[in-house]
Amino acid sequence: MLQDIAFGLLTSNVSAITGSSRLIVDIAMYFGLFVIVAMALNFQYGNAGIPNMGCAVQVIMGGFTVSALTTRLIFILVEGAGVGLRTWATDFDWVYNNFFNVDLTNKYLATKPILGISMLLFSLAVSMVLGAIMGWLIALPAIRLRATYLMIVLITMADAAQIFGRNVVAISGGTLGMFIPDILRWYPGDRTVVTAVITLFIGLVSFFIFRTMLNSPYGRLMRALRENEVTVSSVGKNVIGIRRNILMFASGITAISGTLLAFYFSYVVEAQYQRAFWTYWPWLMLILGGPGNNAGTFLGCALVTAMRRIIIVQKWLIESLFFFPVAYFESVLLGVLLIVVIMFRPNGLIPEKLLYIPGINYTQMVKEEVKVDWRGAPKARGSSSGVSGLFRTLGSKKEETK
Amino acid sequence: MIIPAIWLNALIFASELTLLSIGFTLTYLTAKIPNFAHGTYAGVGIYVSFTFSKIFGMSPYIGYPVAFIIGGIISVIIYVLVINVLTRMGGGAIVLTISTLAIQIFLGALIQIYAYWLLMRYGTYTQIFMLKDYDFKIGDFPGIFIVSMGITIVSVVLLHYMLTRTKIGVAMRATAEDPELASVLGININQIQIFSWFLTGGLACVAGAMIPLWFMATTTSGAAIITSIMAGSLLGGFDSVYGAVIGGFLVGLSEVMLTTWGQQIIGVWVGEYRPLVPMIFLVAVLLIEPDGLQGAYNKFMASKRGGKMLQSIGLRKKED
Repeated sequence: MLQDIAFGLLTSNVSAITGSSRLIVDIAMYFGLFVIVAMALNFQYGNAGIPNMGCAVQVIMGGFTVSALTTRLIFILVEGAGVGLRTWATDFDWVYNNFFNVDLTNKYLATKPILGISMLLFSLAVSMVLGAIMGWLIALPAIRLRATYLMIVLITMADAAQIFGRNVVAISGGTLGMFIPDILRWYPGDRTVVTAVITLFIGLVSFFIFRTMLNSPYGRLMRALRENEVTVSSVGKNVIGIRRNILMFASGITAISGTLLAFYFSYVVEAQYQRAFWTYWPWLMLILGGPGNNAGTFLGCALVTAMRRIIIVQKWLIESLFFFPVAYFESVLLGVLLIVVIMFRPNGLIPEKLLYIPGINYTQMVKEEVKVDWRGAPKARGSSSGVSGLFRTLGSKKEETK
Repeated sequence: MIIPAIWLNALIFASELTLLSIGFTLTYLTAKIPNFAHGTYAGVGIYVSFTFSKIFGMSPYIGYPVAFIIGGIISVIIYVLVINVLTRMGGGAIVLTISTLAIQIFLGALIQIYAYWLLMRYGTYTQIFMLKDYDFKIGDFPGIFIVSMGITIVSVVLLHYMLTRTKIGVAMRATAEDPELASVLGININQIQIFSWFLTGGLACVAGAMIPLWFMATTTSGAAIITSIMAGSLLGGFDSVYGAVIGGFLVGLSEVMLTTWGQQIIGVWVGEYRPLVPMIFLVAVLLIEPDGLQGAYNKFMASKRGGKMLQSIGLRKKED
């Protein structure tokens, strides 16, 4: 099995990856995609207490970056290099000549690895920036208000993004969707495996970024913000600004997963980026694994992704058990699992840990019982402790009145 | 008198949305959470109407009391099994809201399964339908126009009477204001909560049962209407029932009318962007006045000009 994957990775034999090996690649890819989203979510909700219900918007921005900007840029560059593409100026040509154009472009890209890699980096960078801008924009109405208002606004914005994707043909070909150039065509092996490897690598990098940020003073600030924002603002911190920064940063990272999904399928359509898919499932992963804990997020993400992909792959077997399609069963499972986890394991599978602070043994400080011997303390005159104290106070007051 | 079809559309939709917004606001008042499953109750109502008309062959109006009871029971079950347990466990507003989202997904899936089962069992097309044929007509008015306006007006008046004159309504208001103080005064908070959840679920389900008689209904139209409900409730001020009546009606009316006028003036393609109208309301309200119409009213009444207005009506004594 592993030899098969290695074989497919190294050689041009695409059919080397079949059956359960293909399933493993698929699970790895989806794990990488969802772990980026879930970790960003953990960064926002688990550590800073910002309920970002609009992950789908940022993911959709990643996808639209590839379809609307990278594809156009590649077309311009390829035309500049002398390849005769069909016209793609109007909306009609953009969709109906898309397939031919992408085919011609792919032939050109097969000999240009540097162009392919630079386009990948370009789309990652642009999607991060656009995702951050989008995060700022959609949080604008409600970031100052209660958390529930923020949830309401963000959850509706996912639908708004999908409506634009469906109706503005220039973005992603409307309901038909559109193919995008295969920037990894120069690679001799299987494209999907390489995309999965890149995704997992980016997931790992973002894990270290989030970990470093959490263990820095900023991480402590975030936890303080989650626990009590009044205290944080009273010591001179700009609560709304910090919240907005966290949301923008995490939104940028979230957008990467949309970009990688587009490259994985070589195809973008708005229906790929449904709210249920990119908001509710990452939330289940986060809550199942345990909010405020990256290891928990990894575990929850792995469990849920494996379960979902296996359900999809073994669809016919599972469907024979029910009288209804598996898609409905998946929704039932999502709803029930969310409620059950919230009710029976509110802290998730792996509970939250204390942050690492250099130079201070924080864990021991929390565990340590502070014992102070009050008997040794100097007693104040007329102290009001105990019954005798009460009498003494009363007596002294009487004396004063006299 | 003939009302144009567009205004019929707008008024029927607005009255349905008013009922839904009232329920949403009542839930927010008593449980302090936005109930995302509220739109899905309407989805249940849609299929109650469908079952009564297409399967049983009766008038869908007979199904309304049944829809009220079914919606109420579903809502009470949700409160007893999930919301109450989580509140006692000390779950915050965010956790409770996520749980209502989970309920929405679960209920939506159950509705889809039910529709699929009907499709397999009776061979009728259940995914997208309209029940206009089962409606009656009085003069030039379709029955659903009179019924929806009637039910909305009657329920608003009854609710006003209940909240201001009856003991249970006053207890509900007290529970919304301060649950601990209310329980000290001898009000059984749990019973009041169950009553209010039953009421909201029932009202939402009846509002949903009215949808397929005039509009196209699908398995997901219940879940899709939640944005409009929240916009209506937020426009009203989120914690004011009277605000929700005005807000729901305004959002429903403008959702249909703005789209239609946009189609007439700009082009037919505007129709695709109809779901954006409640979102624009949502964003505009949050940016301009987060407390909605109720907050604006309170501010106006506290200001100098509002004070003068109150004086001229005679509600406030004139300053010497």
